[in-house]
Amino acid sequence: MINVSNLHKYFGKLHVLKGVDLEVQPQEVVVMIGASGSGKSTLLRCLNFLEMKDEGEISFNGQAIDPKTTPLNKVRENVGMVFQHFNLFPHMTVLENVIEAPVHVKRTPRAEAIEQGRQLLEKVGLADKGDVYPEKLSGGQKQRVAIARALAMEPSVMLFDEPTSALDPELVGEVLEVMKGLAADGMTMVVVTHEMGFAREVADRVVFLDNGMIAEQGDPETFFSNPQHPKARQFLSRVL
Amino acid sequence: MTSFLNDLISTFPAFTRAAWMTLQITGISLALALVIGLIFALMKVSGLRSLGIIYNGYVGIIRGTPLIVQIMWLYFGITQIVVLSAFWAGTIALAIHSGAYIAEIFRGCIQSVDRGQMEAAESLGMKRGLAMRRIILPQAIKRAIPPMGNQFIIGLKDSSLVAFIGITEIFSLSMDNAAVTFKQLEFYTIAGLYYLAMVALFTYLLSRFENRLDTAK
Repeated sequence: MINVSNLHKYFGKLHVLKGVDLEVQPQEVVVMIGASGSGKSTLLRCLNFLEMKDEGEISFNGQAIDPKTTPLNKVRENVGMVFQHFNLFPHMTVLENVIEAPVHVKRTPRAEAIEQGRQLLEKVGLADKGDVYPEKLSGGQKQRVAIARALAMEPSVMLFDEPTSALDPELVGEVLEVMKGLAADGMTMVVVTHEMGFAREVADRVVFLDNGMIAEQGDPETFFSNPQHPKARQFLSRVL
Repeated sequence: MTSFLNDLISTFPAFTRAAWMTLQITGISLALALVIGLIFALMKVSGLRSLGIIYNGYVGIIRGTPLIVQIMWLYFGITQIVVLSAFWAGTIALAIHSGAYIAEIFRGCIQSVDRGQMEAAESLGMKRGLAMRRIILPQAIKRAIPPMGNQFIIGLKDSSLVAFIGITEIFSLSMDNAAVTFKQLEFYTIAGLYYLAMVALFTYLLSRFENRLDTAK
């Protein structure tokens, strides 16, 4: 579904991604882990072109995306993204947040979008919060709205950029539950997270990044019980 | 004191007409300035270098020269090419002047909206223009209201400078009266009272508007 080959990214002189190859299969849940600064968030943001690659190729369903010739908004319609800091639209109610893109990007009739939006809010357990403004919600609730908002575009893949890192510990669970539900429904997901329990339980594959490269990857069972790369061992001994 | 009240009352009809002129010039010039300011602010945040340079030139020149010079320049300069009444020369000069400051207010407020908002909008497939219109501007404009109110008050008082191109508004009327009656102190006090009353009214309306925005959310 997603194919990344030889991806390089620089921030000024800083070489953040040093030739990353990554393939994501349909319905696969890939969890990317690594120390901060390892490039995992940058890699994720390159996948929907919030960061522009400097070298290499990114393709969706076999089609290489050239940011110069491909309208990126069309690509992004199929790639949902959930941010660490939620980025809900504060001037809109929860339901308005969810229907904004379907109505104004996809041109879904408003009544239909509202119907679908309410179903999505129910799915993330916030059916009663549709008419509330985001500022009234807890962090966990905000993040669940953000997930519903991304799902409203019916994307074929969902990207999660440290979705629980800004949450109070007691609110992490409710967001992870929603994500587990998505994975169970067969959503293709790429998740950057520090939640090792989630990685172990939900991931089909764990990708460990170190210093801008994929140092090791594999199924979570093998990776967590018997990491090969010394940096991976070191990392796991610190976080587990 | 009774003589001052007499002056105030006897000139009331004339000053009411003059105040109406002040309000017209202020209202039209600020309405134009809002449009100018928004357009220039969007040029600046477009990320296109050429538009940014135009913005810097405009704001630089307007902020770098006195308003009275701008009014005189437009009135005597432009009227050599096109026929422009004093009213329109003055109003346009005020609009161009306030527009630069309003552009700065809009630019600052647009740039103060968290970058994550544009990223979230783009990640949902919105084009930049749509995201600006639906997501960024509503938040920026709300933040712009308090400094904008301030700028409107400045605009109202700055309109007194069109007295120097022969428009009969509050300030020129008080100058005329002062010159004829030699009651300088009285008539400039009267001028001040009219401005004070208009600013007080405007401040009141603005605070009601702000309250309504707060409760609307």
